[in-house]
Amino acid sequence: MGIQEQYRSEAAALLSSGEVKLVIGFGEGSTADRRRPLFARTPEEAQKFVLDAACIANLSTYLVTEGLLSDGKKVAVFLKPDGIRSVNILISEAQLKPDQVVILGYAIDKAEITALEGRNISDFSLGEEIRSHTPPPHILQEAERIEEMNPAERFEFWKAHFSKCIKCYACRQVCPMCYCRRCIVDVNQPQWVSTSSHTLGNFEWNIVRAFHLAGRCAACGACDRACPVNIPLRLVNYRMGKEVIDAFDYCAGENSSQKPVLASFKQDDPETFIL
Amino acid sequence: MAKIGVFVCHCGENIASMVDTGTLVKAMSDHPGVAICNEYKYFCSDPGQETVKRAIREHNLTGVVVAACSPRMHETTFRKACAEAGLNPYMLELANIREQCSWVHSEKNQATSKAIEITRSLVEKVKRNNELKPISVPVTRRALVIGGGIAGIQAALDIAGAGREVVLVEREPSIGGHMSQLSETFPTLDCSQCILTPRMVEAIQHPKITVMTYSEVEEVEGYIGNFTAKIRKKARYVDMSKCTGCGDCIQKCPVKKIPSEFECGLGKRTAIYTPFAQAVPNVPVIDKSRCTYFKNGKCKICEKSCQIDAIDFEQQESVETFEFGAIVVATGFQIQDTSVYGEYGYGKYKDVITGLHFERLASASGPTAGKIQRPSDGKEPETVVFIQCAGSRDPSKGVKYCSKICCMYTAKHAMLYTHKHHGSNSKIFYMDIRAAGKGYDEFTRRAIEEDGADYLRGRVSKVFEENGKLIVRGVDTLLGKPVEVAADMVVLATAMTPQPDAKQFAKRIGIGYDEYGFYNEAHLKLRPVETAKAGIYLCGACQSPKDIPDSVAQASAAAAKVLGLFSREQLEREPVVAAVGETTCAGCWGCVYACPYNAIEKKDITDRNGNLIKQVASVNPGLCQGCGTCVTFCRSNSIDLAGFTEKQIFAEVMAL
Repeated sequence: MGIQEQYRSEAAALLSSGEVKLVIGFGEGSTADRRRPLFARTPEEAQKFVLDAACIANLSTYLVTEGLLSDGKKVAVFLKPDGIRSVNILISEAQLKPDQVVILGYAIDKAEITALEGRNISDFSLGEEIRSHTPPPHILQEAERIEEMNPAERFEFWKAHFSKCIKCYACRQVCPMCYCRRCIVDVNQPQWVSTSSHTLGNFEWNIVRAFHLAGRCAACGACDRACPVNIPLRLVNYRMGKEVIDAFDYCAGENSSQKPVLASFKQDDPETFIL
Repeated sequence: MAKIGVFVCHCGENIASMVDTGTLVKAMSDHPGVAICNEYKYFCSDPGQETVKRAIREHNLTGVVVAACSPRMHETTFRKACAEAGLNPYMLELANIREQCSWVHSEKNQATSKAIEITRSLVEKVKRNNELKPISVPVTRRALVIGGGIAGIQAALDIAGAGREVVLVEREPSIGGHMSQLSETFPTLDCSQCILTPRMVEAIQHPKITVMTYSEVEEVEGYIGNFTAKIRKKARYVDMSKCTGCGDCIQKCPVKKIPSEFECGLGKRTAIYTPFAQAVPNVPVIDKSRCTYFKNGKCKICEKSCQIDAIDFEQQESVETFEFGAIVVATGFQIQDTSVYGEYGYGKYKDVITGLHFERLASASGPTAGKIQRPSDGKEPETVVFIQCAGSRDPSKGVKYCSKICCMYTAKHAMLYTHKHHGSNSKIFYMDIRAAGKGYDEFTRRAIEEDGADYLRGRVSKVFEENGKLIVRGVDTLLGKPVEVAADMVVLATAMTPQPDAKQFAKRIGIGYDEYGFYNEAHLKLRPVETAKAGIYLCGACQSPKDIPDSVAQASAAAAKVLGLFSREQLEREPVVAAVGETTCAGCWGCVYACPYNAIEKKDITDRNGNLIKQVASVNPGLCQGCGTCVTFCRSNSIDLAGFTEKQIFAEVMAL
């Protein structure tokens, strides 16, 4: 039995036994190589699940839908390791309760897809995998190229990219970490971030977004894929994540009991910047 | 409609010489919402304040901006003036055009336009100020004094003398601190223990003072008027309520050869011991690391010798929690490890000792009963060389600062030595003689003129042994010649340093420290006994090297500050506190971790049937210090700080 059949029947069993109220997985997409999220509430619906190498989206973002988990019932979700990493971060930020999430884990290696052992978040230990994780070669190459630029060149690079931004906020909608009920860009008293899509406003939005994800990004790449104008958002997140590791030896999502890196301190933190 | 009064201060020439105040006044008069704009030489003066008050009444002002110095200087002054004229004091803003403008610029036109920008941005802010009312918080009128040396004892006695409860915590088995180790004290040569022990006894007998020895402050939480401290009482293995201090156990203890810390290793102690004869409380402790029973499981001779069963090998350490309104830190000092000076032979030659060793040799209660004897062979030394600044004022190997007491105690040592051993010969190598203090210079003169102390101005390069003598090689810079002295003993005036754990302790209780680990006062000149953390005060050598008179004076000053705080049941606090917008709070608890004052709690939001809808952050206004850390952390902008709201800050920025 392939993994797709295995998870179909497991999802059906979870639903028919009443253990979970909902299974979030993938269904057929609009074209043969695309998959779209499928929300199964009955065992019959669970038969429509598809699981193959095209299932690359991070479905954990649906877990923070307002009100979804407030009834205390459980939800099962198909997750790759980056999605499991997101769940760790969401638990440590009190947005999820560990026992409410049943994880149907899988990993994709080239075209091969394998099932992951364990169903509860505590069954997964991601520490080493995350620490040694490197982004895809094309991201890494591009990151190195930007690193070698001088500040003026780098500014021009990002200016060119950010000027394309149409402020559709797809990056925000797709990101599991953007769970605020009211995003800072939607605050208009006072309006810190300009909503029109001119270069200044676009810079403001993208820099605020980068800072809000520093030390929180699970590197799933969803924002990058979602962007309709192809801004390489992954590069920003990658650079911020690197900064946080170098400065604080902190890698987001290693486990679900981390304290937020920018809001916590250790007694031996350097204080050289404080006068 | 806003009616703002803008008052431009010249501060004599401080502002007016660099900022064209006429232009500033004109620019502000034309600014929307400004009802009146004046300039004056000194607005902080009485007539200046009167002008502000009159303007508030005559023009019915809704807000006031004083363009002058830093709010740290005169915010209180003008808030009071506003209140007296019937305006809420928080409707005032100070535009700092002195420290942040006139003092730091040298081009008048540019400085003037900057002053206009600063003032304009504060006008825009004050238009959005809200009327605030001070917060009242209760004060727990009990003080914690940390450290039972002379400074701590004095502070405790003064606070208790005014009728307030004090808990005095000391980590050693007895109170007394370094002063109990000293022989005689300068400049009067009265015996240190003779003047100290009455204070120690007074402290332990005082009905308002709880003395906790062999105890350490583990954790301090809270804020001025409302601290909670956890105090760890180490296991003494002796029941304090039973022990009579007869000393039978000490005499019977078979482990007798432990170098005594109190005697600086010159004497020995047992495993069950009191550090010195006049210890307060006179209850021994068992040194677990040295006790035969704790090491091998056999012995208990002390238990057998105790006639009232006061020895308790099962005793456990305990943690007690107290509430305090104020804390006095008097944790004292240590002496520097002099072994960094290999050339002086400390640690290599037994007869090269520190000043504190000499105190024990000269002390009547010391290991030699007050006879000056060489540690190596017990002979009375004929020639003693004293080396001053053996660590102090030496940026390369020692410490940069002056330890302040060494000039005086070295003169005292030379004197005591002459008094105890007539015809002896003391030579003192010094850099300068720093004898500032009442009766101090007379004292050093007396050492030179009456007691024959031989002062040589210069540094010592090397001490080495030759034919049973310590050869001290140095230079006499007044003669410009190298000198060599054959000495029997060498005394190093070692530097005073902070306690080795001073920095960790400061972090634990939340006070600042300098590069060495001495604790920072709020203002070196004007607030010398306060720390930057309200409600925590300093005294004694934990702040900087100090002699006994200075430590005692500072202790009484700290006590006066504590008693001032305790004079009222309620404390008025600034209403500059944060508040959470509950509708948008996502409950990520970042602010809870970020808050340095533990002022943010989790709050349940329930429906009318009591079902939990969500949890949000909630700020306790009594604990909040208004630092704004939570505001900067909150990603959804759900926290706002009264007096510095997002709207105010935004208006300020946009006005630039």
